[in-house]
Amino acid sequence: SPAMELPPGHLPAARAAAVAVGYLRYLRGGPARGLELRELRRARRQDIDDVGHKYCLELELEDVLDKDSTVTCTAEVLYHLGSKSSAPDVQVTVQGELRSTEEADKEFYHRIRSLEKELVAENIPDSHGNVPPELEPIHLLAWAASGYITWQNSTENTKLHLAQVKHVRQVKRSDEDLQFDFVVLLHEMVSQEVLPWEVTVLWHPQHGARVSQCHAVGAGR
Amino acid sequence: GGSNRSAIWLDTGIHSREWITQATGVWTANKIAEEYGRDPSVTAILDSMDIFLEIVTNPDGFAFTHSSNRLWRKTRSINAGSRCVGVDPNRNWDAGFGGPGSSSNPCSETYHGPHAHSEREVRAIVDFIRAHGNVKSVISIHSYSQMLLFPYGYRRAPAPDHQEMSELAKKAVSDLAAVFGTKYIYGSIANTICECPSLIPQQIPREWAPTWAPLPADMAGGTTIDWAYDNGVKYSFTLELRDSGRYGFLLPSSQIVPTATETWPALLDIMVHVLEHPY
Repeated sequence: SPAMELPPGHLPAARAAAVAVGYLRYLRGGPARGLELRELRRARRQDIDDVGHKYCLELELEDVLDKDSTVTCTAEVLYHLGSKSSAPDVQVTVQGELRSTEEADKEFYHRIRSLEKELVAENIPDSHGNVPPELEPIHLLAWAASGYITWQNSTENTKLHLAQVKHVRQVKRSDEDLQFDFVVLLHEMVSQEVLPWEVTVLWHPQHGARVSQCHAVGAGR
Repeated sequence: GGSNRSAIWLDTGIHSREWITQATGVWTANKIAEEYGRDPSVTAILDSMDIFLEIVTNPDGFAFTHSSNRLWRKTRSINAGSRCVGVDPNRNWDAGFGGPGSSSNPCSETYHGPHAHSEREVRAIVDFIRAHGNVKSVISIHSYSQMLLFPYGYRRAPAPDHQEMSELAKKAVSDLAAVFGTKYIYGSIANTICECPSLIPQQIPREWAPTWAPLPADMAGGTTIDWAYDNGVKYSFTLELRDSGRYGFLLPSSQIVPTATETWPALLDIMVHVLEHPY
């Protein structure tokens, strides 16, 4: 069927935008860059028989560390019909350049590599929303990793946000990557549930962030 | 006060983890007191109406967010026959109680409770508003998402006063944005927050609903403002304060004053409208 124009306040469009932003945050985010949606400019939806629902979006994103600079993106998010176990397909095209994070990435990399004891921290942010400056890159890295979890686990009827980094433990590696084992709490906006996830992230200044494993922590409260 | 004049009711902190709301409530109470005798609108409002502001509307939950679990949402009621504690106080009101968007599972964050008004926190407000008999507006403050919402949540059909509420909401979010540029969207709880009736599906019997129809996941049965509206309180609004997800419930305390400051003109718009449109 033909594509239907959606108003920007349309909640399913906002959810699709969150998937696209999560995907992009994972691909392009890191300890020195956190990408956030500034505005959903335009949204269209197309229902494709026997395939699923495709959302075509125009987004304006900002870097939380450099709010004056924004980039425009176009994204397509395809939710597969009836399939609860398959992640939506996402394609994103970024127009323009994101500010370089080379210097900050190098500085973070060397700082962590030269720690005598492996970094351990919890409750980022704390109850009052505070993040100590030296943990801000860790927060942003967890945010990038939660972008992956959001992308992989979203449906048309869910919207996931990182609520808090419950725990982080650095694991020293013999290769060049940094490794962080996180327990993150994700807030799902439709059900209002808080979902704990364990996620292992590898990061390197040239290779960016990669989630090497993640799984939802077993139910029970 | 004391003479049963028309009144405006505000509550914050009904969901205990939404800490920006209790803080905004405290700031707002102080602002109202400060501006009486200085600001013409506040003075006019308080010269003929009363404002009731309940700040820690869910005290047990709030205490629990300090002592044990910062992300606790519900009350702390014991649920008979369940290990799980607590009822969602914003699904416990007698308006579409038990409907879509609420859960019958005590372990769920949107558990509606064993029956409407089972929670004493809710019952206290119901009893107060009913006994008062002259409350003209209920403004229930939550976070996060940056939205200004009005009834209905439990049904898709627009409320009778939809047009007027929508225009007032539009003005309020515009005046909010004028302070620091913070963008809010507005609309009824259930619908897709747009002015596009063609996208709102007609009410169709559940068994005929095509499988692709938008699920009523945005709908919510048993909410505060739906109850208020159905009980004669025309100007019933829910605010969802900052932010849009970066910090969510753990909004930095440095944002308390900016949030309260920008929200104030929106609240004032609503209160002035209530004053100028007696019913």
